[in-house]
Amino acid sequence: MRVIASFQLAVQALRRHQLRAGLTMLGITIGVAAVITIVALGTGAQQTVSDQIQSAGTNLIQIRAGNYTRGGESVNIASGLGSATTLTEADAEAVGRIAGVKYVAAGVRLRGWVANGARRYYTQILGADVPYAAMYQWSFSRGKFFSREDVAGYAPVAVLGTSVRERLFAGVNPVGSEVEIHGQKFRVIGVTSTGDEDQSEMVFVPYTTLQRLLGINYLHLVTVSAKEAGQASGIVDQIVPLLRQRHHLTDSAAARARQPGLLGNQMPNSGTGGLVPDDFTVKTQAAEALTRGLYTSVAAFVLANMPKVDQINLQEMAGTLNRASATMTALLAAIAAISLIVGGIGIMNIMMVAVTERTREIGIRRAVGAKQRDVMLQFLVEAVTLSLCGGLAGIVLGFAASLVVARILEWPAEAPAWGIALGFGIAGFVGVLFGYYPARKASTLPPIDALRYE
Amino acid sequence: MAVISVRNLTKTYHVGEVAVHALRGVSLEIEKGEFVAVVGPSGSGKSTLMHILGCLDSPTSGEYFLDGADVSHLSDDELSEVRNHKIGFVFQGFNLLPRTSALENVELPLLYNAGSLSATERRRRAMEALAAVGLRDRAEHHPNQLSGGQQQRVAIARALMNRPSILLADEPTGNLDSRTSIEVLDIFQSLREERGITIVLITHEPSVAEYGSRIVAFKDGRIVSDTPNLRQRVARGELAEMPIAREDA
Repeated sequence: MRVIASFQLAVQALRRHQLRAGLTMLGITIGVAAVITIVALGTGAQQTVSDQIQSAGTNLIQIRAGNYTRGGESVNIASGLGSATTLTEADAEAVGRIAGVKYVAAGVRLRGWVANGARRYYTQILGADVPYAAMYQWSFSRGKFFSREDVAGYAPVAVLGTSVRERLFAGVNPVGSEVEIHGQKFRVIGVTSTGDEDQSEMVFVPYTTLQRLLGINYLHLVTVSAKEAGQASGIVDQIVPLLRQRHHLTDSAAARARQPGLLGNQMPNSGTGGLVPDDFTVKTQAAEALTRGLYTSVAAFVLANMPKVDQINLQEMAGTLNRASATMTALLAAIAAISLIVGGIGIMNIMMVAVTERTREIGIRRAVGAKQRDVMLQFLVEAVTLSLCGGLAGIVLGFAASLVVARILEWPAEAPAWGIALGFGIAGFVGVLFGYYPARKASTLPPIDALRYE
Repeated sequence: MAVISVRNLTKTYHVGEVAVHALRGVSLEIEKGEFVAVVGPSGSGKSTLMHILGCLDSPTSGEYFLDGADVSHLSDDELSEVRNHKIGFVFQGFNLLPRTSALENVELPLLYNAGSLSATERRRRAMEALAAVGLRDRAEHHPNQLSGGQQQRVAIARALMNRPSILLADEPTGNLDSRTSIEVLDIFQSLREERGITIVLITHEPSVAEYGSRIVAFKDGRIVSDTPNLRQRVARGELAEMPIAREDA
């Protein structure tokens, strides 16, 4: 007898006891649903690490001119951010050649008034480079970002953050209008749609234009983006010696000899560098990701598990998120395992009942020529069918649960398509595993005993 | 050549520590086309003999040749095939699958036939067999929607599906009223006459045994008499004389 015929018999048999079959399936349904949810959580967490964190800026590195901790961390004497004038476009280009770097954008800063006629707003003006928009994955609700030609040609063009736009133009489309910055007219060419609060408060102009306006030829900052999120820390480790070399901050013998006499105990340690301190600061923006772009519950979880937020790096971030999802995965895996086992035992139990109830049927089938393996197949297929139906319901439930988790808990969860195959695979396996014993019992009943069973 | 040939058949059951000798050396030859009625009180061993003849059980010792082939030492699979191809069963309790249509019940032996037929061919043959026992219009009825006589006719149709060498009937009239009993016996007699089917009928009623062409009497696990039935009753003639009491047709 073929499998198809067995399957038809199984469907018939299950239909006769629909409620019983439904209740038996429940364990498998819950188990498979839990497995699908696990997969959804795992996949979602991975995606969050690579996508969300990346778009949140954790693959970004900021090089700032000057050294906030020149006096050493313990002393904490600041000589002022941006006080050094040694960071140049050539430095930015050199950093751009480090392996793993995707974009480099030079930056110049100015705090000042931005005016649209009588409306004025005191804010940060950032002289930026073309790749800046791509680094933050900006899209433009109105207009566009400035081009390479604008930067090369010192064009007086500006891109507004959303808050600035609201303050200066209040609902009117600002593109094409003019604003005044530091005594010069700038034409507004775009409004960023960035969700970042700091950036929405800023005005962006080509850095060359701002340099000329301020009469300087150095940079205040360089923003670097890594090709892959995990590489940021490694790139920082390369930037530091590169810039030290370019800025001639070598620990010469003379410098070392002078050191004790000149500075004495005022400067015990200067961190990353040698005895001559850095004249720049390099930091990854991983920490900022905690409050930017992430799902709020994830951010809260990460914050609660991160005592030293300042020292966070991407690996730790990823690790924390993975630990968080691992906790949930472990919990769900336990639920899945228990309900699959209990569900399997339920199937075994109901199949044992079926074998007893249908002993006479088994006897009749054997009398008209069914072989042991025919009977075995019939009951095994019945168990697997039962289990697969439970699995199907579990897949539907699992996908629904993933959606609910994503929506309500704001946890990144997305069930992949191969979850369907996984669900059926698990259900089928459980069916065979727990259906085998009852099927075997049915097949080994002596025909004559089965036939005479009352 | 004998269809059935058994020599010195014994069967011993162990119930707890007590050995029950159901058969104590039975030898029997049945020729093709015979209608053998096996009679005897309950516990005489006639049912045990039928189970062994039907390849549902194997003897403790002795030999059993069916159609000239030794079937006393076959594997379970081989016995299943013998049951499927060469033996048709008719039981006292009909033994139809419940909640399953008459047609599907009749199809059952074909389902386990090695030369697997298409579903339509199975259906066609089953319908033919049902028509032969006059139940074409009851094909989709379930056993509980059929009278006892109709159920037994479905069982006979099923038994004949694979054109068996022998038809084994174990108290086939035990659950039927007298007229229906005679109708069933009429079917057996005409099967024998028209198709030359060998029939072994087991009964504890001497009156039923009288429809056989040969009567074998059992007692305490042994054959006590084995004689041709010279005064065989003819079911058809008796039916013609009986008042017409049609079934709920």
